[in-house]
Amino acid sequence: MAVVSAAHGRWRRTGLAVSALLAGALAVAACGPSISNDAGDGDALTLPEDFEPSGEITIWDRSGDLFQVFDTVIERFNEKYPDIKVNHLAVDIDAKLANTLISGAEVPDGTFIDDSQVSTLSPHLYDLTELLAPYEKDIVTQKLAVGSKDGRFYGVPWDLDPGLLYYRADVLEDAGVDPDSIATYDDLLEAARTVKEKNPDSYPIRLEEGAYLGQMWLEMFANQAGTNMTDEEGNLRLDSDEYRQILGWLQTVVQEDLGAKATYMDPTDLQRLDDGTTVFVPWSIWWDYVPQTVLTQTQGAWRAMLLPAWEEGGARSGAMGGSSFAIPKDAQNPELAWLFYEFLVFDPEGYQLVYGPNEIYPGGLNTSIPSYLPALRGEPLFDPVPALGDQNLWEIASQAANEVPGGVPTPSWWPSAVDYLGDNLQRLLDGTMTPDEVIESSTRDIQTNLVDRG
Amino acid sequence: MTLATSTAPGVVQAPPAPRRRRGRGLYRTLAPYLFVTPFLAFFVAFGVYPMLFALQLSFTDWRGAGTAQWVGWDNYLYLLQNPAFWSSLATSGALWLMTVPVQILVGTIAAVILNNTLMRGRGLARSFLLLPFVTPLVAMAQVWIITFDQNHGAVNAFLGLFGLPDIGWLTTTVWAKPTIALLFLWKTTGFAVIILLAGLQAIPGDVYEAAALDGASRARQLWEITLPLLRRTTAFLVVMQTLAVFQMFAEPFMLTQGGPYGSTTTAGYNLYKYIRVSDLGTGAANSFLLVVIVVLLSLATIRFLRPKD
Repeated sequence: MAVVSAAHGRWRRTGLAVSALLAGALAVAACGPSISNDAGDGDALTLPEDFEPSGEITIWDRSGDLFQVFDTVIERFNEKYPDIKVNHLAVDIDAKLANTLISGAEVPDGTFIDDSQVSTLSPHLYDLTELLAPYEKDIVTQKLAVGSKDGRFYGVPWDLDPGLLYYRADVLEDAGVDPDSIATYDDLLEAARTVKEKNPDSYPIRLEEGAYLGQMWLEMFANQAGTNMTDEEGNLRLDSDEYRQILGWLQTVVQEDLGAKATYMDPTDLQRLDDGTTVFVPWSIWWDYVPQTVLTQTQGAWRAMLLPAWEEGGARSGAMGGSSFAIPKDAQNPELAWLFYEFLVFDPEGYQLVYGPNEIYPGGLNTSIPSYLPALRGEPLFDPVPALGDQNLWEIASQAANEVPGGVPTPSWWPSAVDYLGDNLQRLLDGTMTPDEVIESSTRDIQTNLVDRG
Repeated sequence: MTLATSTAPGVVQAPPAPRRRRGRGLYRTLAPYLFVTPFLAFFVAFGVYPMLFALQLSFTDWRGAGTAQWVGWDNYLYLLQNPAFWSSLATSGALWLMTVPVQILVGTIAAVILNNTLMRGRGLARSFLLLPFVTPLVAMAQVWIITFDQNHGAVNAFLGLFGLPDIGWLTTTVWAKPTIALLFLWKTTGFAVIILLAGLQAIPGDVYEAAALDGASRARQLWEITLPLLRRTTAFLVVMQTLAVFQMFAEPFMLTQGGPYGSTTTAGYNLYKYIRVSDLGTGAANSFLLVVIVVLLSLATIRFLRPKD
């Protein structure tokens, strides 16, 4: 009995202690700080009338070659604005930006940002609508859409990433396929069948294996077909003829063994591209980085053309990826940061310095194109690309830019949708889901877990 | 030095001034607290406060900006009804089954062997066992990716020598979990061996001497003495490894990004997914649910492995 009583006593004491701890914790938590900061939608950035630009700004850019390219612009910017000192930092933006904006510590004056993040981070960013107004009519519509939220602009539109169809010119020539005959996705299927007949071991159309990139890839097709996961109000619209057509086309590729999955730039992917197993790569313009840097055996054999259309006479491109510049609300000198970005994006001297021949890219930067129409209408900013057989990629990309249909704002939950739509797309490519199942399952899960909890 | 000032008869020694004694007593009482104050301050600032803040966060819908909305138990209820949450727990549970029992078994055998004083090269063997534990996980995960690549990995190349087909070690739902479990085993079994060795060395030698005098064989000594007296150490190890498995993040992050199809999304990785997309309220609720589950599992382990003596 005594033992039992002691045990009871011990449990009672433990229970009381835990209860007290929980009660104390809740009490302290309730008295804790208000979980809020000054960030809220609607803070518009304007330039004062008597503005005299001088001071210091800190600009964050993604590390790597692009950082080096942006770095070269600062000297010329200072010729125009000698009293603005630019501290240009290479930062892992994906890892650091959100935390910095939330904590409010060491916030930069301006930062590079993926378009898909603009909506998520917009409460921390200046509304740039008024400053962008003079340029609005000259910006590609799709970029205005993805950089906005509730009709206000939060990103200075930087690069446009139109989709193109990359192909192996040598393999098509051997198989007797004329690339100019590929005007629709049905034509592409036919061309793939012809290549497969010639080489039964090939899987001519490249299918993306990564769930995140796969979802981006699907959204490129959808954008081309004039739709996207959501409408302007953020309502889901996966259940549509367009998605059924795209997913049905992908299912045909899988069922006829006309394509194989590969993860972007992994060893298998590169080997298939080099040995002729993969012949067609429908992807964003930035895929040209692959033949330019790593496809050692087939450099010069690749070419680019407009994407095939979903319907005869339909759009021949859709956007995949893209980035903007943002100015955080906690910036010390947001007006000066705007001047820097205005120079970089809208001043011919600025965008020519970045896209034109420079120290880092002697032939110019050709993995994207500007989203500013006067830049697209002017002289080519980068040279023909040797890895594409000296093809004039500028001309094709500019043409593709005109074909990209207008988009919609990217919902803040877009990256989380990868768990549903991205995964289900992979299941379809594995042959374990039908287009209808992908649409039904993804719609249900995204609605429940993301839209309703938005 | 002495405090006594007078020993003359008839002279009553004056007691120390009460004020002075009280001051010294107070000083003595407060001194320990004073010394631990810096630590306590840091602990409260970086341990207690963030925890309470996270607890508060778990009852809100806060995306890192704007005013937080108090949502009560919504985040918890959502998670408890969410298949992805339970799937992440099941994944952690499966990884636990694939790692911890194996580790205890292999670790105990290795520790018993290494505890033998007659064995040569014990120090070297212990160093080798600890090597994976001190190697950065990121580097090891990269080695794993190369080794287990479906098309160019060393493992499939080896299997190919025997005419066996390529296996998608990191790309199929069947094999991804065991491949991650193998990395965890390789990385942490050395740690388990060291803990178990410490436990073995804490067993008094005279217990074995008495058993030997009574004619107990080595196997009997192992079964009747070593294993029972290792229960406390084993319980500690199981608790530590349970914590590690349920918090496992870097392995799936590096090897599979939680895929394919979420099959390697562990409990720790699942909570990161909410934080990554700034759904801080749900992420905080997920972390507290995880705390509760791990505490319950640890208590159950301790109770199950409690020495019977």
